[in-house]
Amino acid sequence: MNLLLALDPSSLWNGENGSTGLWIKIILALLVTSGGVFALARAPAQVRKPVIVAVTFLSGLYYVLFWLFPQPINRSTPSDAPRNMLEAASFWISDAQNIVANISNIIAGFLIGLGIYSLLRIHLRKIVKKQTDWGFSAVLVVSLVAMTLFGYWDWANRQSPAGGTIPFVPSSAWGFQQYARDLLFDGLLQQMDAGMFSVVAFYIMSAAYRAFRARSIEATILLITALIVMLSFMGVIQKPWDDFVAGTLAGGNKDSVLNGLKLSDTYTWIRGSIQTPAIRGIDFGVGVGLLAMGLRIWLSLEKTGGND
Amino acid sequence: MGDQYRDTGFIGILITLVVAAFVLFNIKRAKGGKELFIRRIAGLNTIDEAVGRATEMGRPVLMVPGLSDTSVNAKSMQAINIFAYVSRVAARFFNPILVCCYNAGILTVATEIIRDVYQQEGLADRFDPDSIRFISDRQFAFAAGIAGLILREQAAACFFMGEFYAESLILAETANSIGAIQVASSTELTQTPFFIAACDYVLIGDEFYAASAYLTRQPVLVGSLVGQDWAKFMIAGFILVGLAYNSGAVLIGKTDHEFDDDNHWVATPKERPMRATESMMSRIFDPHPDPDVKIQREKHPADELPIGGGAGDGQ
Repeated sequence: MNLLLALDPSSLWNGENGSTGLWIKIILALLVTSGGVFALARAPAQVRKPVIVAVTFLSGLYYVLFWLFPQPINRSTPSDAPRNMLEAASFWISDAQNIVANISNIIAGFLIGLGIYSLLRIHLRKIVKKQTDWGFSAVLVVSLVAMTLFGYWDWANRQSPAGGTIPFVPSSAWGFQQYARDLLFDGLLQQMDAGMFSVVAFYIMSAAYRAFRARSIEATILLITALIVMLSFMGVIQKPWDDFVAGTLAGGNKDSVLNGLKLSDTYTWIRGSIQTPAIRGIDFGVGVGLLAMGLRIWLSLEKTGGND
Repeated sequence: MGDQYRDTGFIGILITLVVAAFVLFNIKRAKGGKELFIRRIAGLNTIDEAVGRATEMGRPVLMVPGLSDTSVNAKSMQAINIFAYVSRVAARFFNPILVCCYNAGILTVATEIIRDVYQQEGLADRFDPDSIRFISDRQFAFAAGIAGLILREQAAACFFMGEFYAESLILAETANSIGAIQVASSTELTQTPFFIAACDYVLIGDEFYAASAYLTRQPVLVGSLVGQDWAKFMIAGFILVGLAYNSGAVLIGKTDHEFDDDNHWVATPKERPMRATESMMSRIFDPHPDPDVKIQREKHPADELPIGGGAGDGQ
């Protein structure tokens, strides 16, 4: 059986959209998976650990193979047949990617439920016990319920046979649910997101003020460097200064070393000779650290939580 | 075979395998009892001081393991490992903690690990599951939620470690405004300057990945860290050799070939000085795949096509 036929409605793994067979398969899959997770949670640590280690290893192994195993060249159509065993393996790895990604998405979908449970547990208790600032919790719970309700109402409406014609901009075809969703999502949530983002501008000013106070040699170097970079972006200062350097200081000589005093040249030098090499160095360290961390997780080498 | 070898060359994959070998070899050395040195990291020495200060003030320690688009990734795991140590210190001082999670995957992992920490310390009854909270998986809702928590709970010590983006400064400046001691680290280099400007201590670059080894001294972590250092020496070696080789190639090298517009390596009428991008070193690290490679394959029957597969994208 070709496991990669998972998206084919006629295969064991799938069914016609909306069919009873598909719903039965979904419910069976839910029961089997829930049973597995429950059994794993109840199992003693000496049983649970090898299972988790094995699943982690197999999941990681797939992606290691996906990136390191030779990928097929010029596989232009899905009808291409592999020429040998090595190529068959590379085709299989490549084809399985969608299935593996779907598994990750389904697991992530279940995790959203856990997140909502955590939120409701904390905030409902706060509301019921009338703890300090319980009003904020009430706003959160009402927002959560309203957004879910109108979001799904709008979505369900769009799934109906006539739903495909409902536009995403206000029109006469809109009902209460579309206006409500639009108000909550575009009218409130998006605007509040933008509002929070704009706050960053003010925080940059206050943080920059503290960082650039010339209280030490390092802070002074930072201040001067930042000043040069900022001035180099201000045409009203950069242009006359560069003209002054080229015309008066360098006397029009293009080969004069004094041309290096132009703001644009100084900025280019700072970026190319100081900033970029420093970032490259840090990048290498981060990349190697990430690889080592990934390796430890994949091989379950790390004792989680650590000790001293 | 080997599209990715044509794109990045075998050298990229070879170096990856060598780095992995360095890490595994040094883990084996460390497990064998070999004493390996780790230099001092100032930001991590302040963890005890920060938690102690929070205890004196009777205020909580707040931890944020950053954003993570995928449910849990290596960066958020590393952050949680550091927070496990912070939680252990806080547990010993009977100090409340708050861990703010961006997604439910991190919430689940953090809850399990920190619960284990409390159990290891014999303080399982003091573990409060509500101290580890899912806030939101929208970036600025997450930032607003944490900023609110910092202000309402008056956190005395804040730890921001992991993947941070534009929200980094909102968190750090809010904590700064109430005088909280802050230790931070972002795996995103663009955010590191913001943390440096607003926080008391910042772990830069791979210090973040060295932190758990420094704090716990587990042989696996210490060995891994030394393996990383070996890898960095190797990379620095490549840079120095490449610098010398390419300088030599440009100064004295000559070639009678060049890449045409279609990326073919074709002969030129006369010899000319070599460009840096044409040296052997450059071509090993940045190979130009032959654009003319074509492979003829037999076709599958139509009813056996791998419909769920990723075929057809030429990758």
